[in-house]
This record gives sequence, structure tokens and C-alpha cells, in this order.
Amino acid sequence: MQVIETIDNPVKLQEVFSTKSGSVSQCDQENCWYIDFAGKVSRFDYRCLLLLKKAVYNIDIEALLLKNAKAADIEIVFICASDHFYVLSTLEIIALKELLQGTFAMLELNHIIQDRLYRLAV
Amino acid sequence: MKDIMRAKCLISAEIESLINQQIRKEAQSSAIYLAMASWCDRNGFDNSAAYFFKQSDEERHHQLKFFKYILDMGGTSISPDITGLKIEYNSFREIFEDALDQEISVTQSIKSIAARCHKEQDYVTLEFLNWFFKEQREEEYKARRALELFEIIGEQGTGHWEIDKHVGKIHYGSEA
Repeated sequence: MQVIETIDNPVKLQEVFSTKSGSVSQCDQENCWYIDFAGKVSRFDYRCLLLLKKAVYNIDIEALLLKNAKAADIEIVFICASDHFYVLSTLEIIALKELLQGTFAMLELNHIIQDRLYRLAV
Repeated sequence: MKDIMRAKCLISAEIESLINQQIRKEAQSSAIYLAMASWCDRNGFDNSAAYFFKQSDEERHHQLKFFKYILDMGGTSISPDITGLKIEYNSFREIFEDALDQEISVTQSIKSIAARCHKEQDYVTLEFLNWFFKEQREEEYKARRALELFEIIGEQGTGHWEIDKHVGKIHYGSEA
């Protein structure tokens, strides 16, 4: 993981979900997520994370696997108005999708826990 | 860990997607009513054309209500593209049959959003939908009443002229 901490203002990250190929961590101070995937760490705010999810989920993996073209199996995942984009092979897309699915399941679980345990108790 | 997703948006992704589908449905209804108004006007049914122009405006109003609700709750509203509209109708009666079908399908689709809200315990959206249920009661009543006119007045002789005269007077007065 790249250095994302500074001495004056340490950024606390909590891991949301990880697989063999990458991980997603949440930063409560900045209200954002850091995705460590395909050799780089990228920062995503709420809107960009949803756009990434949409972009990745919309890729037809079956069509990619069945494609007979001689061109390299590379897909560019571009997120509008975001600083990041990914250039990924089919296997990496499958891995990123798995990572995002796990992440959103964990965020949903966190939401349920917050609702049931903390919001009701306060 | 903070619940950032909830802090940013009140409605779930599923409800947001269902409401976006509803936005498309309302936009389609509005466009269909315009097509009907066009047909009625071209064929000399001026009162019915005025009735469908008004219906088209109402559907557009419904569409905007859904559109703004998603935005107010922190979600993403999608402006839909509408294609494949029917322009020609075989008969005056067919128009009103299609209009009733359209309203029934809108009611059904709002019911399915409400069912999802119950499942998720999203009472906020459910309360928002109540206004639409009341509106659908009126819309379906009007569409059904228009078709009834064909039965009561009949289509022989000056029947179509009489029906057209009465379509503009259809009014739903229930206070319930």
C-alpha cells in the first residue's frame, strides 16, 4: 500500500473488505474509501465509489470470456469526473467485481449494525 | 466505523433503481398521452385531445415528483429516453382502452415499489407513495369512466361526437 499517512495528521483507515488481489479501507475523517487494487491505491468519495460500482457491474464478463477477437483482453474502467481509471484484464475485472461486491455487502452490514445497535440504543 | 452510505443517502440502491424505473414509466405515459392527443386532434375529437393534453401534463408532474424525491434523498435521478411510441390508433375506442391499460400498469408498478418498501421497512418512501396511490385511484376512475361512455352512449350515429363531448366533463369527486 502506498503511503497515505502524514506525520502531523495521521489518517486512520479501517479495512472494509479484502481479497487476495486487493483491499478496500474506509477513512472516517475524510468520509472516503481507499481502494488498493492493481498496484495502486486510489481514493474514492461516496459518489465516485458508486460510479465505480456501476461501471464494473455493467461489464459483461461472459461476453468478454467468449470473445474470439485477437485483440488483448483489456477493458478500460473510466469513471466520469474522477481522477482515477483502471486498465484491467478480464481476470482483474472479475477480481475487482468480487472485491466491490464484498465491500458493498460489508457496508450494508455496517449499516444494519449501526441501525440495530447504536441508533436504537441512543 | 461510520455509516457513510446512510449519511449520504436515505433510500437504498434497490428503491432508487425502482423509482428510476417509475420515472421512465411516468415519462412514457406522458409521451403516450401526447400521442393520443395528437391522434384525437387530427381526427376531430377536440375535447378528447384537450383531455389527453391535460393527462400528459399530469404524468409529467408525477415524473418530476419522483425525480425530485430521489435527489432530495441523496440519490441519483436518471432522465429517461423514450422511444417506440405508437402514433396511429385503429379506433377512437382503442385509445381509451390503451389509456386504461397504461394507468393499470402504472398502479401496479407503484404497488411493487411499496412492496419493496415494506420489505426494507422504508416507511419514508412508503409515505411519499401514498399521494400517488390516491392519484392513481382518480386516474383509473377517469380512464374507466371514459370507456363506460362507449357502452352507455354507443358508437352508432353521432355516438362518437357525444362521447367526445362528455370526455371533457369526466370528474372524480370522491373526498374519501
